Amino acid sequence: MAALTKTSAPVSRQMLRRGAVLAAIFGAGATAVLLARLYHIQITDHSFYENLAVSQQLREAPGAAARGTIYDCNGNILAVSASVDNVYLSPAEIETNGEDRELIARELSRILGLDYADVYEKSGRRGSWYVTVARKIETDRADAIRRFKAENRISGVRLETDSKRYYPNGRLACHLLGFVGTDNYGLEGIEARYDKALAGTAGKSLRATNAYGGEMLLHRYGEYRPGDDGCDLVTTIDATIQYYVEKHLRQAVLDFDVQNGAGAIAMDVNTGGILAMASLGDYDPNSFLTVSDSAQLLIDGAATKEEAAALLAQAQARQWRNKALSDTYEPGSTFKIITLAMALEEGKAGLGDSFYCGGETHVTGRTNPIRCWKSGGHGSQTLTQAVQHSCNVAFVNIGQRVGAERFYDYCEAFGFLKLSEDPDASLTARTGIDLSGESGSIWWSKNTFCSKKNLSQLAAASFGQTFTITPLQLVTAVSACVNGGRLMEPYVARRLIAPDGSVRYEHEPKLVRRVISEQTSRTVREILEKVVGDPTDGTGRNAAVPGYRIGGKTGTSEKVSLEARTGQKEYIVSFIGFAPADDPKIALLVFLDTPSDRSGIYISGGQMAAPVVGSMMADILPYLGVEPARSASDGAVMPACVGLDLPEAGEKIKAAGLRYRTIGSGSTVTNQLPAAGTVIAADTEIILYFDAEVSPELETMPELTGMSLEKARDTLSYYGLYLSTRSGVTDMARQTVSGQSVKAGTELCHGSIVEVTLIDSDEGLLGRY
Amino acid sequence: MRYDVARLAGPSDAPARRGRASFDGPFFVLSMLLLAAGVVMVLSASYPRAWYDPGNVTGGNAAYYFVRQLIFALLGVAAMLLASRVPMALYRRCAFPFLIVTLILLMLVPLIGVKANGSRRWLGVGGLTLQPSELAKLAVILSFSALICRSRGNMRSFRHGILPFAGILAAIIGLLVLEPHFSASVIILAIGAVMLFLGGVRIFWFAGAFGAAGAAIAVLLTFFPYASSRINSWRDPFSDSSDQGYQIVQSLYTIGSGGLSGLGLGGSRQKFLYLPEEHNDFIFSVVCEELGFIGAALILCLFALLILRGWWIAFHCRERFSFLVVGGVTSLLAIQVFLNVAVVTNLVPCTGISLPMFSYGGTALLIQLFELGIVLSASRDVPAH
Repeated sequence: MAALTKTSAPVSRQMLRRGAVLAAIFGAGATAVLLARLYHIQITDHSFYENLAVSQQLREAPGAAARGTIYDCNGNILAVSASVDNVYLSPAEIETNGEDRELIARELSRILGLDYADVYEKSGRRGSWYVTVARKIETDRADAIRRFKAENRISGVRLETDSKRYYPNGRLACHLLGFVGTDNYGLEGIEARYDKALAGTAGKSLRATNAYGGEMLLHRYGEYRPGDDGCDLVTTIDATIQYYVEKHLRQAVLDFDVQNGAGAIAMDVNTGGILAMASLGDYDPNSFLTVSDSAQLLIDGAATKEEAAALLAQAQARQWRNKALSDTYEPGSTFKIITLAMALEEGKAGLGDSFYCGGETHVTGRTNPIRCWKSGGHGSQTLTQAVQHSCNVAFVNIGQRVGAERFYDYCEAFGFLKLSEDPDASLTARTGIDLSGESGSIWWSKNTFCSKKNLSQLAAASFGQTFTITPLQLVTAVSACVNGGRLMEPYVARRLIAPDGSVRYEHEPKLVRRVISEQTSRTVREILEKVVGDPTDGTGRNAAVPGYRIGGKTGTSEKVSLEARTGQKEYIVSFIGFAPADDPKIALLVFLDTPSDRSGIYISGGQMAAPVVGSMMADILPYLGVEPARSASDGAVMPACVGLDLPEAGEKIKAAGLRYRTIGSGSTVTNQLPAAGTVIAADTEIILYFDAEVSPELETMPELTGMSLEKARDTLSYYGLYLSTRSGVTDMARQTVSGQSVKAGTELCHGSIVEVTLIDSDEGLLGRY
Repeated sequence: MRYDVARLAGPSDAPARRGRASFDGPFFVLSMLLLAAGVVMVLSASYPRAWYDPGNVTGGNAAYYFVRQLIFALLGVAAMLLASRVPMALYRRCAFPFLIVTLILLMLVPLIGVKANGSRRWLGVGGLTLQPSELAKLAVILSFSALICRSRGNMRSFRHGILPFAGILAAIIGLLVLEPHFSASVIILAIGAVMLFLGGVRIFWFAGAFGAAGAAIAVLLTFFPYASSRINSWRDPFSDSSDQGYQIVQSLYTIGSGGLSGLGLGGSRQKFLYLPEEHNDFIFSVVCEELGFIGAALILCLFALLILRGWWIAFHCRERFSFLVVGGVTSLLAIQVFLNVAVVTNLVPCTGISLPMFSYGGTALLIQLFELGIVLSASRDVPAH
C-alpha cells in the first residue's frame, strides 16, 4: 500500500498560472468563438441556409389535372387523355444500395426496347437522383417494370404518373385537333387554341422527402394545392362528315396524282360551325413526329446528319400545316359567286340582263385583252348562263358595273379584307376562327385597285385573280351568299364543359354582319344550282348527285407566282358546293393543289374537284337526313334468281333493267353474280349459273379511268366484276370514269362491286374555269 | 458545495469508512445533464437512418442506435462511479502499464483491426469495437502526469522536459499514422502539448513546435493534392457541394435551418439522410437545427460550465498528479468539444472528431465517462470549504 499512499509534490504557482490560462481559453474563449460562429450561421445567415435546405427537402410534384376530352358534335370522342408512367432512375440510390446496374440496364432495355449501353450509362450518373429513361409508357410495360422491381428488390428504378393523349380515330381531323407535346402542352389546332381550358390548372404538391426521394417520416410538411381538371370540349366537328370528306379527298389525291396536297372544308352555312376540315398530307396525332414513308425515305437518304434533321423538320412542318387555314391561294372562278352576289345586291346585274362574250375583252389600262377560257367566246348569254359557263368576259363586265370602290366595300363586308386609313397599304383580313395558324389574305392597296386609269385589277378580281385568300375565307363568304346573306364567324368550339358538368362556355353562332339581302341570296342559290344541275349548260355538272339539289361553282387557278418564277404551269383546282340548294345546310369546298395530267383527266375544277364534292355530298346528304327527291341511284337492283328456271330468271332480270349470260347447262339457277340486292349500273350483263360453281379464282382489276361508263361497265362484267356509281348518270356513252374505288391491278374475287366516279368530259367543258 | 446526488458514489458515512470525501456534485450533475441530452439527441438524430437503413445495418429498427447508446451510457455511468472510487495514487501507479497496454493495442490495430472507410482504426472483440486511439488519449494524460511528477524541477531541460514525452508521442503518433487516423493524432498532439504546458516546459519549445507544425502543414499542402483539396473545400464548400463539400454544406444547411429557436426537439429535416454522420460526428448540427441557437448555446454553456468546474477542481487539488490529470481530462474534453463544433460549423477543415457525450459510439462514450470519473475521484481529495 506504500505506492498508493505516496503523494506527489503540491501544485506549483506556475502550474496554477498556466492552468488558469488554459481554463480561460477553453472555458470562456473557445465557447465565445463557437457562439459567435453559431450566431453567424443560425441568426445572420438563417434564411440563406434555410432556403437551400428547404429547396432540397421539398420535391414539387405536379398534381394531376386531367386534360379534357374533345368530342365531336354527336359526342364521339376525338381526343382523350389517359394515365401512363414515366420511368426514371435514381443512380444515387442504386449506388447507396449497391443495386446491380447490369441487371437494371439489361431488364429495362429489354422491357422498354432501349439501348443497353445507354441505360447502363444513365444508371451510373453519380450524385443524381433523377435520370429519365422513358416517357409515357403504357400499363403493360409499366407493370412489367413494377414486377421486375419487386422481384429483385430494386428501388433505384422509379415510376411516376404522367398523362398521354390518345386520338382514337388516328389521322381523322388531325389538323383540326392538333396534338399535345411530351410536356402536355397543346401544340397545334384545337389542342393549342384551347390549351388553357383543356389543360386545367395542374395541382401542386410540395412533398417533404428524404435524401433518396422517399417519404420524410413523421413530417407533414409543405402544402398541396389541388388542381382543376381541364374542361371537356364539344366541337362542331361531325366525325362522320369528317370521315367522308377525308375518304374522298384521299381518293382524289390518288386519282389525280395531286402533287402538293389538298384540302377541304365543310361548313354549317347557317352557323359558321366547321363540320369537317381536312388537309393532306396529314399525320397521326398519336405519333405526330412520324413523317410519311416517302419523306422518311428521303431523310434516310440524306448525306449528313444536319441535312437529315433539316429534312425531318421540313417534312414535319409540312404535314402539320393546315392548308385549309394556313395556305392562301387565288380562288379563281369560285370567286365569281361573290362578284355575282354583289352585282345582284347593287342592282347592277339582273336575271334579265344579257352579256356578250366574243372570247376577249379590252380593259382600260391594259394593253393585252383579257381572254375568256373559251376561245371564240360564249356569244350572247343571260346572267344565269354567264355563271353556268363561268364566262370571264361577262364577269369583267359585271365587275365594272359594280365599280372598284363598291367592289372593295363588298370584299370587306364578306370578310376578305379590311380597309385601312392608308390608301396605299396592301390589305388583309382573317375570319377569326378559333383555331391556331390562320393566315391572312393579301389584296392590292385601295389606291392601286381603284385607279381610274387602270381597271385591270378590278377586271381580274372579278373572276378571282390577282389576290389571295384562304380557303376558309371563301367558304365563309359563300356560306353568307347562300344562307340568306348573313356572314357568320366560323368556329369549332361549341361548348366547354367543366369537370363538375356545368357549362363553362357556350358558343352562340356569331353574326358578323348582313352582307346581302334574302332576295339576292335566293337568286344566287338559284343560279348556282343551275351550274350543277343543268346537264347541258352547267360547268359544275360533275358535282351532281342524283336526287339531290346541289349548287356550286368550279374554280381553276394558275399559280401565277410559280409560273413567273419557273415558267412551269401549275394549278389549284377547286369546287365549292352547297346543298340542299333551296335551303342550304352545308357548304363544301374542295381544293387540289397541283394535280398532274398523268391521270389522263383534264386539269380543271370542273373535271377534278367537282366530282369529289359530288362524292362527298352523296355520302353526307343522306347522313344529314336530307330526303332525296327521287331514287338516290340511277343503277339497277340485282334480283334473286337462285332456284328459278331460265325463263323466270330472265323475266326478272329484264324487269330490273339488266342483261344476262349463262354458264353451265342445268335447268335451275344454282348461283348468280352479283349477289341479290346489289345496286349496279343499269343494263349490266350479269351471270346466271346452271349447275355450276362460281370460279374461286381471282380477277385482276382493270384500269377504268378515262373509259366511258358504258365501256367500263362492260369491261367489268366481262370479268364477273360489277360497277356501281353514285354520280348522276345522264349519258352513259358520254360520261367517263374519273376515279375508281379499287386500284387497278388489285386482285378481286368474282362478284365484287367497284364504285366509280363519273365525269362529263364533253369537249365544250374542257377549260380552265 | 457538496450535494446529495453524491450519495450515489459516496454516502455520508463513506469518509469515516474509507477516509475519502464524496465527489464534486456540480461536475457530476453537469456531466449527467450533458449525457442525458446526448442520449436523447442520439435517438432524435439516428432514427431516420435506422429506419430507412440504407446501409443494411439496423434491419429497419428505428431505435437501433438509441438502445445501444443507452446501454453504453448506463454502463458508462457505472464506469464513472467506479472510476470515482479508485484512489488517484492507483491511477498514478497504473499510468505506465496502461501506456504499455495501449501501445500494444495500437500495434495490434494495423494487424488485426477492423477496416472501415479506408482506415483500420478499430479492434473487434466479440461484437464490440474499440478504438485504441481513445485509450491512447487517456494514456497520454496519465503517463505524462506521472512523468512530470517524477521529473520534479527538471521540466525546463530538454532531456527531462522534452525527450521522454516526445518519445511517447512519437510512438503513438507513428502507430496512428499507420491506421491512418489524422484527427486522433491532432488531438493527442494537442493534449500532449497541454500536459507539457501545464508541466512547466519552456514557452520557447511551444513556439518552436508551432513553427514546425506550420512548416509541416505547408509541405503537406504543397506536395499532397489531397490535403490542398480539403483546404479548398473548407474555404469554399459550395464550390463542390455535391462531392467534397457535400458533408460540410449539408451541415451548414442543418445548422442554419435551426434559426433562433430551432425546429423543435425531433423536428430536424436534414437528418432524413441529407446530413451524413448525423448521429455521429455531426450530431451537433442536428442539435442546432432542432433546438436552435438558444438550445445550442445552452449545450455549449453546459460544456463550458463543466470545463470550468473541471478546472475549479484542478485548482483545488492538493497534489500535482491530480492537478495534471484533472487539467488534462478537462482539456481533452474542451479540445474535443471545440474541434467538433468548429468542424461542423466549418471553422476548421473537415475531419472526423466526435462530440463527447453526444456522438454515437459505445466504447468511446464508456471511456469518456470513465475519464470524468477520474476527475470525480480527484475531487474527493478537494478539501471542503
